Amino acid sequence: MAPQSQGTGHPCYAYGGGLSTARRHFEKPAQLGWEHHAARQLPGHCTSLGPMRVSLFVTCLGDRFFANAAADAVRLLRSLDIDVDFPPNQTCCGQPAWNSGHVPEALQMATHTAAVFAKADYVVLPSGSCTAMLRCTYPRLLESPALAERSYELAEFVVDVLGVTELGDGLAGRRIAYHHGCHALREIGVKEQPLRLLESAGATVVPWEMDEECCGFGGLFAVKAPEVSVAMADRKLDTLPDVETVVSADGGCLLQLDGRARRRGKPVRFRPLASLLWEARLGSA
Amino acid sequence: MSGDARERILGRVREANRDREPVAHPGSLPEAAEPPAPLGETGRTDPVGAFEVRLRAAGGEVVQLANEAAARSWLDEFATGFETVSVCAGVPDALQPVLPAAPPEEAALGVSAAVGAAAQTGSLLLSSREGRRSQLLPPVHLVWVRAEDVRLTLGDALQSCREDLPAVLALHSGPSKSADIGQILITGVHGPGRIIAAIVGG
Amino acid sequence: MEVHSRDYRDRARRIITETPEVRESVTAATRTFVDNRREAFADLDEAALSGWAKEVKSHALTHLADYLEEAETRLVERGAHVHWAETASDVHRIFERIVEENAVRKVVKAKSMLSEELALNPFLESCGVEVFETDLGEYIIQLLGEPPSHIVGPSIHKSLEDTRVIFHERLGTARDASPEDLAAAARDFLRETFLTADLGVSGGNFLVAETGSIALIENEGNIRLSTSVPRIHVALVGIEKVLPRWADLSTFLQVTAKSATGQPVGCFVSIIQGPGGSAAGEPDGPEELHVILVDNGRTRVLADPEIWEALRCVRCGACLNICPVYRQTGGHAYGYVYSGPLGGILNPGLVGLEETLPLPFASTACGACADVCPVRIPIPELLHVWRRRAVERGLTGSEERTALGLFASAATRSRLFGWAENLAGVLPDWVIRRLPMLREWSDGREPPRATGPTFRELWDEGIE
Repeated sequence: MAPQSQGTGHPCYAYGGGLSTARRHFEKPAQLGWEHHAARQLPGHCTSLGPMRVSLFVTCLGDRFFANAAADAVRLLRSLDIDVDFPPNQTCCGQPAWNSGHVPEALQMATHTAAVFAKADYVVLPSGSCTAMLRCTYPRLLESPALAERSYELAEFVVDVLGVTELGDGLAGRRIAYHHGCHALREIGVKEQPLRLLESAGATVVPWEMDEECCGFGGLFAVKAPEVSVAMADRKLDTLPDVETVVSADGGCLLQLDGRARRRGKPVRFRPLASLLWEARLGSA
Repeated sequence: MSGDARERILGRVREANRDREPVAHPGSLPEAAEPPAPLGETGRTDPVGAFEVRLRAAGGEVVQLANEAAARSWLDEFATGFETVSVCAGVPDALQPVLPAAPPEEAALGVSAAVGAAAQTGSLLLSSREGRRSQLLPPVHLVWVRAEDVRLTLGDALQSCREDLPAVLALHSGPSKSADIGQILITGVHGPGRIIAAIVGG
Repeated sequence: MEVHSRDYRDRARRIITETPEVRESVTAATRTFVDNRREAFADLDEAALSGWAKEVKSHALTHLADYLEEAETRLVERGAHVHWAETASDVHRIFERIVEENAVRKVVKAKSMLSEELALNPFLESCGVEVFETDLGEYIIQLLGEPPSHIVGPSIHKSLEDTRVIFHERLGTARDASPEDLAAAARDFLRETFLTADLGVSGGNFLVAETGSIALIENEGNIRLSTSVPRIHVALVGIEKVLPRWADLSTFLQVTAKSATGQPVGCFVSIIQGPGGSAAGEPDGPEELHVILVDNGRTRVLADPEIWEALRCVRCGACLNICPVYRQTGGHAYGYVYSGPLGGILNPGLVGLEETLPLPFASTACGACADVCPVRIPIPELLHVWRRRAVERGLTGSEERTALGLFASAATRSRLFGWAENLAGVLPDWVIRRLPMLREWSDGREPPRATGPTFRELWDEGIE
């Protein structure tokens, strides 16, 4: 149950993540005020400081396409005695603009997002790649690590900050495959946390030889090189083991894989991690 | 023309680096990063044993011979499988097979004497001073190497040659191979399809 | 080489739809490379190794002029001719002179990607010289009239069947010949060619400044033969290939082979100091060695403060092998010598961003390439630099800029954003199929399901 993060800041490996080599623009966040947060990681301190407050950043895809999953994230956090709020002015983190080279537009959105969450203790996102945007790109875009060091992907927050590795047993008997979003995996090093939570709830995460390979979404790549993008999704789908559900923390990947699977008439469900985690939790009731 | 090109290229290189912070050379490779030599059959990383494991893994053959007499009798037996031989300059008389000589492009067997070997990569170090054609053209290549010349690392083996480099120092670390036809591995494409390291002494 | 990179999307589409077997071959071959590579690095500290290799190459690049002069001095001392070439046409003129002075009729070539940049084969042929590629993969694609598809495995896009067909036509092998028989036929033909060629051309994996050594890694033995049998050897070496010290070489030989194919080192390595033969008092070997130090855009890359690190590249191909985008098409889609992530960062620097425009965008920024680069080139960051510049220079089209501008301004006004999201949710299919971007999406995929309330609406209603 010990949190993995020991108050030394959370990882932003960026590329070269497999080598655990943070590089110049992607240094781990500065230690600014970290002690405060580190103290709050300890369950004992939680009570003495009152309930922990978390601001949900639902993300643009989450708001429109995965509303129920985002609601599940809220339910999950509340069930863990977290006080969740939803700053209503939030929109998009700016990653689509950033990735396609539109830096001023990305800066505009980052500035807006940073202002929206300026007062948040923690920002939790049901999205690995948006978390990577906040953690790895914002510090150099905004020249401030302030938001980066308070931002977590949902499963990462539950495991590393709350120190919770067992949510319940609501997934007993479920066979799922897990798709690791590239940025979650390689930029912020989120890999074990979601698997731990799913497996401890009774799910069997079936090995998938291509679970770490890109699905072909890549933001505008999906429409700039659509034939390659679709071929990449096909490669994922063709190697998929016999499971009912594919889970991922990344909305873009889910839209891509689900869109292609439906076009091909492949009967697999693609579901956001947040919903599965809430189902895991429900089993404990 | 080439002279002007030289000046222009070097000028542009210097200009490009003018405002760049020079990066220091990191010195020797950290030990943890040194690719390990394999354990020999003895379970230790003795250079000869490790060399044998590595070269065999690459498809090469290795024989260990206690002394020159043992080498001679092994060679006499080995040579019976061949019609002709092309022997590199520098192979001692005692280690030359008794076979009709043929030009390298026609010989069935080429015989070399290595100037060193590296266990880390299973490499035989061959000098062009003994002649290259006999190293390359016959389909089978027998290489003599003295046990004391087998080093653990490639770095050590190369360093031992540093002071007197031939026109070409070559590493042969397995038979010629290719997977260019349908990704199917084939040996003996252009260079020798069989390489035998005969280690003498030790 | 002509640049066809602007057609990336179209070339990629044609490869995927018209020659699906290319995708199968490339995927299978690259996955084997990746598996072998992983195994090769399993028992050592890869981060320490790549960190060291990065520093050595960065050191070499930041002291490049001195090291080039040092290498030149050593080579000249050993009797080599050192030439400097700024462009492909400089290289052509150097060859023209060598060919004329030596009445060269037949050339054997060992694999060199630099020679592809320089379009050397067509030039030599225009001089009336016969040119034979001798790497088996290069030979196959030379017969087929294709450029290499991969910097290490030039024919990885070709199946056994493809080789059977072309060898049957050109070498008279049986239509159902075994791989061994096919290789033997190529060997017999090329053996004769080696023995009768006047000149051998090679590239150079490394140029060691301290000793003036050109190091070449291979598996077939064709490089050893090309650089040993003909009377003249010409080595084409990019100026960025420098290693400072003799002591650096052993590690770079290993790290390159391990990264490329997972081997401890290539089956053959040639470390060449100078000409052989009577010039060196040796029994055989080329009487003349010409080393051509080639710029061809490299000083431009070096001068680029954001891109220069790309010159650390050792051409192992690991970034291609791991790249899920590359795996769908192989190298031909990229329309220039270097493909995959390497092509995306290097081609714009060598031949210009305008000419190679879509390449920096031919990536999902998944980051897998950076994890396997043995000299730690921050490939995704460099791709992003080119993307940013493409936008800044107005090369990505006004449509995209307008769309993202609108998106950004909506995103800073949450009400407008919410309204736009709702609109996206109610667009009928016939609209989606006509809108740019949405149309591209829905050609191969069902549009996302955007029915039901947004999260914002759920939140306002209260989440139980």
